[in-house]
Amino acid sequence: MLDEALHSPRGKDGRAPDPLRVGGWMPMRQYGENDEVDFAIVGTGAGGGTLACKLAEAGFSVVGFDAGAWWRPLEEFASDETHQEKLFWTDERICDGDNPLKLGSNNSGKAIGGSTVHFAMVSLRFRPEWLKSRSLLGYGADWPLDWREMWRYYTEVEQALKIAGPVNYPWGPPRPRYPYRAHELNAAALVLAKGCEAMGIPWSETPLATVSAPRGRSPPCVYRGFCVSGCSTNAKQSALITWIPRAVKAGAEIRDLAMAGRIETNDAGYVTGVHYYREGQWRFQRARNVVVAGYAIETPRLLLSSANSQFPDGLANSSGLVGKNLMAQTNQAAWGVMEDEIRWYKGPPSLAVTEHWNYTDTGKDFFGGYAYMSQGPLPRAWVSSLAGNRGLWGDALLRAMEKYNHQAGLKIVGEVLPQERNRVALADEKDRYGLPIARVTYSLCDNDKALVKHALNFMSQSLSVVGARDIWTESDDTCHLNGTARMGDDPRTSVVNADCRSWDIPNLWVCDGSVFPTVGGVNPSLTIQAIACRTADRIRAMAAQGSL
Amino acid sequence: MAANNAGDLSTAATRQLVGGAVGAIALGLGVALLRRGFTPQTGRETLAGARTHARQKRSPLRVDEPPQVKAARRLNRAAGLLGTSTLLDSAVEHYRGSFQNKAMYTPLIVSALMLAVSAHGTRDKRPIAHGVRDATYLAAALTGIAGTGFHIYNIAKRPGGFSWQNLFYGSPLGAPGAVALSGLLGYYSERLRDNESDKIPKVFGLPAGRALAALSGVGLLATAGEAGLLHFRGAYHNPFMFAPVTVPPLAGALLGETALSRPRRPRRLTRWWLRLTALLGFAGAGFHAYGVQRNMGGWRNWSQNVLNGPPIPAPPSFTGLALAGLAALGLLEEHPDA
Ligand SMILES: Cc1cc2nc3c(=O)[nH]c(=O)nc-3n(C[C@H](O)[C@H](O)[C@H](O)COP(=O)(O)OP(=O)(O)OC[C@H]3O[C@@H](n4cnc5c(N)ncnc54)[C@H](O)[C@@H]3O)c2cc1C
Ligand code: SF4
Repeated sequence: MLDEALHSPRGKDGRAPDPLRVGGWMPMRQYGENDEVDFAIVGTGAGGGTLACKLAEAGFSVVGFDAGAWWRPLEEFASDETHQEKLFWTDERICDGDNPLKLGSNNSGKAIGGSTVHFAMVSLRFRPEWLKSRSLLGYGADWPLDWREMWRYYTEVEQALKIAGPVNYPWGPPRPRYPYRAHELNAAALVLAKGCEAMGIPWSETPLATVSAPRGRSPPCVYRGFCVSGCSTNAKQSALITWIPRAVKAGAEIRDLAMAGRIETNDAGYVTGVHYYREGQWRFQRARNVVVAGYAIETPRLLLSSANSQFPDGLANSSGLVGKNLMAQTNQAAWGVMEDEIRWYKGPPSLAVTEHWNYTDTGKDFFGGYAYMSQGPLPRAWVSSLAGNRGLWGDALLRAMEKYNHQAGLKIVGEVLPQERNRVALADEKDRYGLPIARVTYSLCDNDKALVKHALNFMSQSLSVVGARDIWTESDDTCHLNGTARMGDDPRTSVVNADCRSWDIPNLWVCDGSVFPTVGGVNPSLTIQAIACRTADRIRAMAAQGSL
Repeated sequence: MAANNAGDLSTAATRQLVGGAVGAIALGLGVALLRRGFTPQTGRETLAGARTHARQKRSPLRVDEPPQVKAARRLNRAAGLLGTSTLLDSAVEHYRGSFQNKAMYTPLIVSALMLAVSAHGTRDKRPIAHGVRDATYLAAALTGIAGTGFHIYNIAKRPGGFSWQNLFYGSPLGAPGAVALSGLLGYYSERLRDNESDKIPKVFGLPAGRALAALSGVGLLATAGEAGLLHFRGAYHNPFMFAPVTVPPLAGALLGETALSRPRRPRRLTRWWLRLTALLGFAGAGFHAYGVQRNMGGWRNWSQNVLNGPPIPAPPSFTGLALAGLAALGLLEEHPDA
């Protein structure tokens, strides 16, 4: 049974699945619900998984909760795009606004390991100036973090995930050598490389969280390209196979198929624990601290739906900003057909990247930046793109699909500006747990649109100079979600401080993609993990000083 | 705690042990194989001693084998071993490259021929060069040089040119070099046989022993360079991966010293270090076999992993070159001025 993990929890009775072995188990510590644990963490993805590991290793008692299942990729991940939708967060949500988001496959996951189980592994650092984009670049908001400090935490995460990256990275301040060497470029990546060379801009191999040489029980990547459907070889260094086993080994307890529904507070205005649904009933775990790490939609949803008479607008929401400033990075593409066979499905989808337009401030009529990467959608994803976004059907669709092996494409990860009107709120409708459904309102602003226009123009040109025919652009797509519980220096304009600690409730924390004040033009997971590592260090330091 | 995943943590030590064990088995095999080659070469044997020894063993009708013939046969063996390594390696790599270009068959044919003539040469004790062997070795040397040219061209035309990406994954520069080197060693062995036995053997006007020491020393350094590049690509994920970038370069340096310094013997350190290098070549094949196991599906999926994993036939090229170095030492034992 490939979906057994969805039906009954596996992390119980003192053991947990070992995702690196067929049928494997590892011993796991267990806490009683009446034990007041140091940290209850909701969500075990890039933010929560990392934090659980680091806090457990620092000696804190930790229980992690995730609504998703605990998979063993070696035996339970099929080479089937449809089947693998079991990794997506597809619970009902209401989407509106001028550009309603399409939620599900390419923006959120539900599993132990979170979205990193089916993410595309692109592991980029922020451009240092972005952390002060308001003061230095004139848009967005400043982060309360210093880039030099972040540089150190990026290094820690790159080491922990054995990121395979280029020997020399062309952009930004110097960084230490990536622990593993870059992967071999596929033909789709070479199309990007040749295009950049023709357009006179630098390109690079993409730093990726999949190993290019053996590591422990992870074999090197086999280049079969199923990454965004979940990696069945464990070459991908997801939170599921990196942080989580480390966390369990260090004494954390992780509970799968455990949906948190409400955070409890006491009269003194502190949180006391988490109500969660597991094995058919609501339960309560007592905790000295609660960390919310459910990603940019579920995090504000949980904070808002935990409203009570003392916090009528939701927890941590005195600024009124919980749920606001949602940023869904733009993800538009230019596609073309090459004379040569490309077979773009081979290998991780984004083997080559250019960050030129992240690091160049001239020649732009918009704020912010974008990176673009080579692409390799699997057949089903490609057919839905052709049908849904290009409007092909019937014979025309069939003929377009026949060119699948000659297809090449470039796709951006584009910065969008934080806007308060882009937000997550609670709808009146309830989900199967009886919890209010998230209403997600999203509209691009003129700046976002100008960025997309620039990118589509540039990418189309760089495809055409390398001989691509039949070029078309896909202008309606978004990817990573961020914002909705931004960090800052001022309780009036932010939800948490630099340590991810909420301004309003000192023992309530948010540690995931929600805390981003701006998103930059790179994929967020490396930054989320770096912030989690920093938060753990800060918590340890505060505990030592008695200020936790 | 180090940034390892749980797999690393629980099994890292076992893994190293398994790797070590596989390497050790290969090492043992190598020792057994090499023994025959080594026994008659012990450095402390004097020329006279060696002769008596030979006389006792051989029929009274056979003439003594002149030292340069002995060295030449050792070189045939070295060339043959290096040729085997390049034959198998290019077979695997060019099969992986689907023999896209007809020229990709050339190293296979040439290396196979070289193997045959080397076997012939190893058994041939006559002090004269052999036409077919000569021609084959020369052809191999030229093929290797042409191949290096092709590979350089292939790399240069890829986007990024001589970038790390292309050095890692483009056509390997060192591989055709090894074909050239084995051809050269063989060709050299034929020249050695042409020398008269009572004179200091010379090849191309250079003292043969020193020139051969230099040639095999450079070969070891170059091969270590190639191993270094590819092990860097593998991020030296296993500490044993440092062995081929430490042991053979030292052997190369010792041979360089041998080539340049005033006549002196016995060169015990050099000799032992070369033997170690020769054994390492075999051990390397064992390590690479273990490396194949660490790919997805391991040896059960051999048809893919032999191609994807570390090249099993490559490391014994160190053995071939170390044998050439030992042949040079042998020559110098006989003729300190050679
Ligand atoms: C297809 C795809 C490709 C991507 N590619 C890249 C990439 O190449 N590079 C990159 O940097 N980023 C990429 N991302 C984005 C990246 O995966 C996310 O930004 C990152 O994982 C977010 O981390 P997080 O901790 O905020 O949330 P997640 O990793 O999504 O983890 C949140 C977890 O919380 C759980 N959860 C939520 N609410 C509750 C609740 N109430 N109770 C219990 N559990 C709950 C969820 O089940 C989930 O497991 C990609 C994402 C997707 C979907
Ligand atoms: S291409 Fe590599 S990272 Fe992607 S699914 Fe396959 S093995 Fe995993």
